[in-house]
Order: sequence, then C-alpha cells, then structure tokens
Amino acid sequence: MRISTSQLYQQSANAILDQQAKLAKTQQQVSSGMRITSPADDPVGAVQALDLNAVLAQTKLYQENAGAARDRLRLEEGTLTGVTDLLQRARELAVQGNNAPLSNSDRASLASELRERLNELVGLANTRDANGEYLFSGHQSRTAPFSRNASGAVTYGGDQGGRYLQIGPAVQVVVGDSGSEVFQAIRNGNGTFVTAAGANSGSGVIDPGSVSGTFVSDTYTIAFTQVLPSDPITYSVTGAVSGVVVPAGTAYTSGAAMTFNGVKTGVSGTPANGDTFTVSPSANQSIFTTLQNLINVLGTPAGSPASQANLNNGINRSLKDIDQSLDHILETRARIGARLNALDSQSDMNDAFALQLQETLSKVQDLDYAEAVTRMQQQLTGLQAAQQAFAKVEQLSLFNYL
Amino acid sequence: MLGIGVSGLMAFQRALNTTGHNISNANTEGYSRQRVELAARTPQYAANGYIGSGVQVDTVRRMYDEFLTLQLRASTASHGQLESYYGFAGQIDNMLADARTGLAPAVDAFFGATHALASDPTSTPAREVLLSEANALADRFHYLDRRLADVESGVNAQIKTTVAEINDLASAIAGVNRQIVLAPGQGSDPPPNDLLDQRDQLIRRLAERVTVTTVAQDDGALNVFIGNGQTLVMGATAQSLSAVANQYQATRCEVGYAAGATSVNISSQISGGTLGGLLAFRGEVLDATRNALGRVAIGLSATFSAQHALGQDLNGTLGGNFFSAIDATSPKARASASNTGGATIAVTVSNAAALTASDYLLQFAGGVYTVTRLSDTATVYSGAAFPGTIASEGLSLALAGAPAAGDRFLIQPTRLAAQDFAGAISDPSKVAAAAPIRTREATDAAGLPTNFGTGKISAGSVSNTTNLPLAGNITLTFNSTLNQFTVVGGPGGTLAYNPATEGGGKQFTFAAYGGITFTLSGTPANGDSFVIDNNTNGVGDNRNALELAGLQTKLTLGGGTASYGDVYGQLVADVGGRTHSADINRNAQKVLLDQSIAAREAVSGVNLDEEAAALVHFQQAYQAAAQAISIANSAFETLLAAVRR
Repeated sequence: MRISTSQLYQQSANAILDQQAKLAKTQQQVSSGMRITSPADDPVGAVQALDLNAVLAQTKLYQENAGAARDRLRLEEGTLTGVTDLLQRARELAVQGNNAPLSNSDRASLASELRERLNELVGLANTRDANGEYLFSGHQSRTAPFSRNASGAVTYGGDQGGRYLQIGPAVQVVVGDSGSEVFQAIRNGNGTFVTAAGANSGSGVIDPGSVSGTFVSDTYTIAFTQVLPSDPITYSVTGAVSGVVVPAGTAYTSGAAMTFNGVKTGVSGTPANGDTFTVSPSANQSIFTTLQNLINVLGTPAGSPASQANLNNGINRSLKDIDQSLDHILETRARIGARLNALDSQSDMNDAFALQLQETLSKVQDLDYAEAVTRMQQQLTGLQAAQQAFAKVEQLSLFNYL
Repeated sequence: MLGIGVSGLMAFQRALNTTGHNISNANTEGYSRQRVELAARTPQYAANGYIGSGVQVDTVRRMYDEFLTLQLRASTASHGQLESYYGFAGQIDNMLADARTGLAPAVDAFFGATHALASDPTSTPAREVLLSEANALADRFHYLDRRLADVESGVNAQIKTTVAEINDLASAIAGVNRQIVLAPGQGSDPPPNDLLDQRDQLIRRLAERVTVTTVAQDDGALNVFIGNGQTLVMGATAQSLSAVANQYQATRCEVGYAAGATSVNISSQISGGTLGGLLAFRGEVLDATRNALGRVAIGLSATFSAQHALGQDLNGTLGGNFFSAIDATSPKARASASNTGGATIAVTVSNAAALTASDYLLQFAGGVYTVTRLSDTATVYSGAAFPGTIASEGLSLALAGAPAAGDRFLIQPTRLAAQDFAGAISDPSKVAAAAPIRTREATDAAGLPTNFGTGKISAGSVSNTTNLPLAGNITLTFNSTLNQFTVVGGPGGTLAYNPATEGGGKQFTFAAYGGITFTLSGTPANGDSFVIDNNTNGVGDNRNALELAGLQTKLTLGGGTASYGDVYGQLVADVGGRTHSADINRNAQKVLLDQSIAAREAVSGVNLDEEAAALVHFQQAYQAAAQAISIANSAFETLLAAVRR
C-alpha cells in the first residue's frame, strides 16, 4: 500500500493524541478514585450509584432519627425512674401512716412530706427535653402538660398524641407517651374494682379485695344491720343494676371473705348499724389524685375507732392505688425498654445495611487501583513508543540523501 | 533528431514541473497527486519502417478514485454528526450525575431536612433549614435548567453559523463549477485537475456539516443535494439555506429552505454532519432532558404541596402549597405561527402521577380534535369535542376562542417546569408538620380519661381538607346493646362496631370531613366515647412531616410506579446511555473515517520519497535528452566541418 507523507505524519500524530486521551482518562480515574467519571462511562453503574447513594443517605437519616429517638426514650426512662422512686417513697410513708402508734402530728408531718413529693411529681411530669419540649404533653409539646387548677387539683392540658420517628424504611418507633397515658390512665382499686367505706360510725375496715371469677361490672353496696347492740351483725349486698346479690340478714364475721359476682373482699372490725361500704368498677385515677387522696387521709386527725377505721380504709385504698400506679409506671418503663431494644436492633440492622451498601457502592463506582495503575503504566509506555516512533519516522526522507 | 531531443526536453520539463507541483502540494488538503502521461509521438513512415519521432505529453493525470472519495465524504458526514452530538451530550451528561451539580444530592439534602423536621417539629432552626434546603433545591433545578437553556441557545447559535457556512461552501462550489465548465479541456481533453480537487475538498467540508449527494453533469459541473433531494448547488448557481424560526416557538432555530417566496422548515430531513448532529442532539437529548427534569419538578412540587396542604402549621392553620403551583402555571400550549383561528389553549396538570415527559401535538381538522403524544406518536385523544381533561396523560386543556380548520398547537407540559420551580413559603412557622386533627378518649375536666373499656382509637389521618378545620368536636359514643357508635358532630349517624368480631380493629372514614380515617379496636364499655377534634396547639405533632419525608421513596410518579429518584435516575441513565452509545459510534466512525482517509491517501496522497525518486529520474531523463540535442548538434557540426573548406 502506498503511504503518503502527510498521512505518515498524521498517523503518528493521531496515535499520540489517542494515547494521550486514554492516559488523561485513566489519570482522571486515578486522581478521583472513581471508576465512573461521567454516566456515559457506564450508564447502568452510574444510575446504580445514584440509587445507592440515595439509599445510603436515607439510612444515615434513619440512624440520626434512631439516635434522637434513643435520647428521648432514655430521658423518658430516666424521668420514670424518678417517678418510681417517688412512688416507692410514698408507699413507705403510707405504710408508716397506717401504723397505729403514730400521733396525728406525726401523720401531719408525713402528709407534709408527701405534699413536697407531689410537687416533685408534678415537676417530673412537666419534664422538658433538650429542645425545651415537654416530654409528656402529647402533640402540644409547647404547653405544660400538668398544672394545678384553682382548687389545687392537678389537671392535664396536653393531648393523647404520640410522636413517631422513622428509623427504618418501614419501621416507625414511638418516642414518647402522653402524660394522659403515663400519669392518668391508671385504674384505681385493684384494677378491676375499688372498695370504699361510706361515712361510717363503726370500726369496720374493708379489704381492697381481689377478683374471683368474672367481675360483673356494677356498683355494689354492702350494708350492715344491727338494730340492737345485742343483735348479731348482719349485712346485705345490693348491686345498683344487679339487685340483691347477698340477701339481707347474712351473718357477719370479722375478716371473713364476702364473695359475690366475681368480687372477693372482706370487712374486719365492728361495723355499726347503717354502715355501708361500696364496691364499684375501677375508674381511671391519676397518680396526682392518688397522692392527694393519701395526703388528705393522713391530714385528717384520727382518734375515735371510727376515724381510725376511716384512716385505715383510706390508707388501704391509697396503698392499692399506689401499687397500681407503680405497676403502671413499671409497665410503661418495660415498654420503653422494649422500644429501646427494637431501636437498637433496627439500628444494628441499619449499620449492617449501610456497610453492605457501601461495599456495593464501592464495587460499582470505585476504581480498582491495581488495575488502573497497571493500565496507566501500559498507556504511558504506549505513548512513549508512539512518540519515539514519530521521532524515528520523522528523520526518514530520501531528500536527506540527495 | 533535434526535434526528438527537444520533444524529450519539453516532456521531462513538464514531468519535473508536475513533480515539483506534487512536492509543493504535499501538505495541501484534498490535493491529489498528478502524473504526467507520456506517449510516443506518431512515428514517421519511411520506406524501411516507422521512424520514432520523440515523445509527447498525453495528459496530466490526477490520481483519483471516485469510489474512495464518495466513501470519505460519507464517513466525514457520519463522523461530523456523531462528533457534534457527542460534544453536546457529554456536557449535559457530566452535569446531571455530578455530585456537585446533579439534582440527586439536592433532593437527598431536602428530604434529609424533612426528616430532621419530623424528629424535631417544634424547632424553628429545623424549619429554617428545610426552607433553605427547599431554596437550594429550587436553585439546583434552575441551575440545571439554565445550563440546558444555555446549551439550547448554543445549539441555536451553532445552527445559524453552520447554515451560514453551508451557504458559503455552496456558493464556493458553484463558483468552482463555473470555472470548471468554462475551463478548456473537457471530454477527451486534459481535465482541470486542481479545480476538481478544490471542488472535492469543498464538498468534503460541506459533508462535515451535512450529508450531501452529488450528481455529475456532462459539462463537468457537479450538482449538490441535501436532505431529501433539496438542491443546494445546480451548476453555477447556489441555492441558500436559512435559519428560520420554529412555527411554534420563535426563539427556536430551524433549517429553512427557500421554496418560492417562503421558507420551508426542512430540519426533519437533515441528517449527517454537524448540522445533523445538532438537530439530532436537540431532538433526542436536549428536549427530552428538559422535559424529564420538568417532570421531576412538577411531580415533586405537586405531590409535596398536596401532602403539605393536608397538614397544620405552627399557627394552627392548614398548610398551603409548599412549592409554588407550577403544575398550573408551567405547562404551555404554543400555537403554530400558521394558525388562522384565534384560539388559545391553557394547559394545567390534572394529575402529576400520570404525567409523561413527552410533548403533545393538538390538531384541529375536519371538526375533529386530535391529540398526539410525540414521544411515540400515539393518539391519546380524538373526537369532535375539545379534549378537556386527558386523564391518561394527567393533562387538562382549556380552550379560549375558536380554532380554524388546520390549526395546530404544540403542548409542552413539562418543558419550562424546572425553571419555574420555586418555594412558596418563607415563614418557617408556616411549614405544616402536624396533622390537622387528633383523636382521644373522652376525658373529664381535669383531662382524665373517663372510659371504662379497653377500646382504642388510632391516631387518624386526613386525605383532603373538606370541612377542615372541624367546626366542632366529633364524638363517638359506644352503645354496647346495639354494638354501634353514635356519632355526634361531623357527619353524624352511627358506626356499626362489634367488639366480639371486630375487636382487632375496624377502619372508618369520614369522606366529607377531611377524609378522616381512623381505626377503632378493643372492647369499649357501654357509654365509652372517643373524640376527634382539631389539633389545637399540636405543635409537637410530626405526623404530616413523617408523611412528607416518606414521599422521598413513595412511588408517586409514572402512574404510581416510580419515585422522584427513579424518574431522575431514568433521565441520567437515558442521557448517559445516549452519550455512551454516541461515544462508541463516534469512535467506530472515527476508525472508518481514518480508514477512508488512509485509502484515499494511498491512491491520491503525495509521498515525498516517491517524488524525490521521480525528480532524480526525470532530471536524468532531461539531461539525457539534452545530451541527445548536444549529439545532434555535434553531428551537425561534424557535417558542417566536413563540407567547410
């Protein structure tokens, strides 16, 4: 084949340009560490990298959310630990107050400590997080959840909403409980029914009772009768809806069990004629009310057998209520613990997923340095060869010999 | 003998001249080396035979192969097209997926801020960050669109320049044609070699700009055609092209061809060369990219705003649009410049999920409106009534005025959307992170829940804003005898709920009241009630923010098959793929072009070594001829000397 002289030069120049272009590409790859420097290098890989980066960014967000959720749940957990301690102290005080040898003034001092505790509890219930948001006011996180009204009762100003955070593609975790749920939605009595004494003149003390079988929801009145002091004490139980469940004239024995419609309770001491006790279905009672009731009971002077019985009845009931509250707070703490566990396992999964994504991403877009450096060396050699070839060919001309 | 010697001298001088000409033009582009064809002169008849009478120059031949020239021309046109296509596509390609300039990082950052808002809805800084990320996202859309618009004006400018260059080349070719026709030496006469080379070179330069076909005439002229046989050069006259405005959009350049008094748009018939590459790039890549980007813009703004409107801001009012309503303002219907009716069409997006990235052509002819989707030329509407809403395409059209028969409108639903993308909120407290309603168990005055049963109500969600905010609380009170809830407020009536069979959860929706949807579960006691009310003071509520953050991965576009990221990824893949294949084809075409050049050079190129040898060769022949004259002279001298005395 004939070769024209200009073609010879052009070919050499093209070869050098080609080698330089390839070298520049490799150099760009090596200096950026990326295999794909523009989507045209590998359209599929580029889009994959785009997707992977987006998922990676999302996973990072989930981890941030998980961190925020963990902080909030730990704060709630810490606050509720305080509430538990406080309730245990209140229980000790109640037990002390139930002990006969105490004088009225001793009980008054117990009551005044409890008053402080109650204030402390309101403070705990109004805990704020680092952002200044109230922990227990539901959605109304800028509104203090608990405040005292004109009559001194603690009322709730928040709502029943809960905040969720996204910690996984399809996983949301609740990062708070409303004050209503934590401090208010607590069944009083034994959780099913509550026993109470009327304005009695005898020394009858009613047992908080327990559920035996299925409780038939109703308000029952236990009425005592002893027309003459020499008469035996008898009682009857009447339900507001159920009617008579224990007929009148049933003999009373102090401390003996009274069982009806799923209720198992008992009265001890000596009830007077006309004394009544009620058994009614449990209703919600806030911890504040529970403590306030205890304060009221302890603050009422006791001397006569009737007032002593009133005291005992009140404290018994408060003890039961406090136990309910303690159980409830513990349950809530267990729920928080479970959430923290779920959070940690999701967080671990996110970490593992992110690592896996990183690996895939690295495979898709990162450069294999060994391969690239080898390639660069080859291209350098190629370029040098092309340049040398040009230098040699350039000297060849017949005119040099004429 | 003297005559013979002189004929040799003349011939070899000519040969030396030609060799010198070859050497001088060794680097002239398009030059074909020339060779002197020598032939023995007609011999003289003598009694004892024919006596040679010397040499003569038959012709100066151009070493030329018609086929190789045509091949080179074709390769040049293909390579020119791919080169300009790749050059522009590469610019866009780099921009779209770059970590600094691409859209994906801005979208990720924006949704990151949405998540941050969800985790801390009362925080003003989180809201500020969201708004500034929204602005950054808008800036990114604007930046990308501005760059695409810049590329488009670059394309327009280059079309104009290229058309002007084509016109210059065409008249130059016509000029050379005239010279060739006038030049003596046609038919069997020696051809005007250098003029022919010059014309071939001009045509090759023309082929760099557009694919041409040529037809040789008997008189030596070459007629040049482009497109579908539009004459560019006819003999000695050149027809000129012009850059004309697109019929729908005056700022868009098309290639015009004068047909009588008017110019016809022949853009669609142009292929090959720089011009073909520009037009193909604009049609396949640029328009598609702007449309696809606009589709993401409309999809994101419409769906995000729609969800935002279902929320409640820090002030307790319903959230409005988060982004400005570009689904209503950006789509454009452009009337053709040749329309005779006075109709105008307004276009809005009725459903962002169904929206495509295609343009549409609406034609009114014979009392029938036809709407064609230009991406696949499918007819999406045809009927005597004006289309109105085309649900399958997510478009809504409104006609003003009356169209005349033959009127056409180009509908561009997404072309300008990216440039119009903008946030609609500047006050951080207006970001609607909360849901507008909340649910609760009934409570007493102290806020104490008063229900006895285990019934629960879910948090509830809304799907529209009808009758929101609620005029009053909606209270559901359970009747255990009838197993139903009595609804007071809102829609009223009763809701059947059987705790025994439906205690696992039953969902209810109040369609006419914000589409409030909630689930009741458990066993409520008789008289237990639940309350649905306005989310007053619900500043710590993040339910709507969670919904907004969830939109990032929700399949909201493409008829519910793709997320924003998917649509954008599709765009990147599409442009990347086209650029990639343009690059591969360009490289392949470059090899073909190099081969064509090599093949032509093998025949027509000047080799200086060969010419050096020819120089020596002809110089020696010349010297020998001179020697023959010298011998003739001395023979004559000898004769004279012999007879002088």
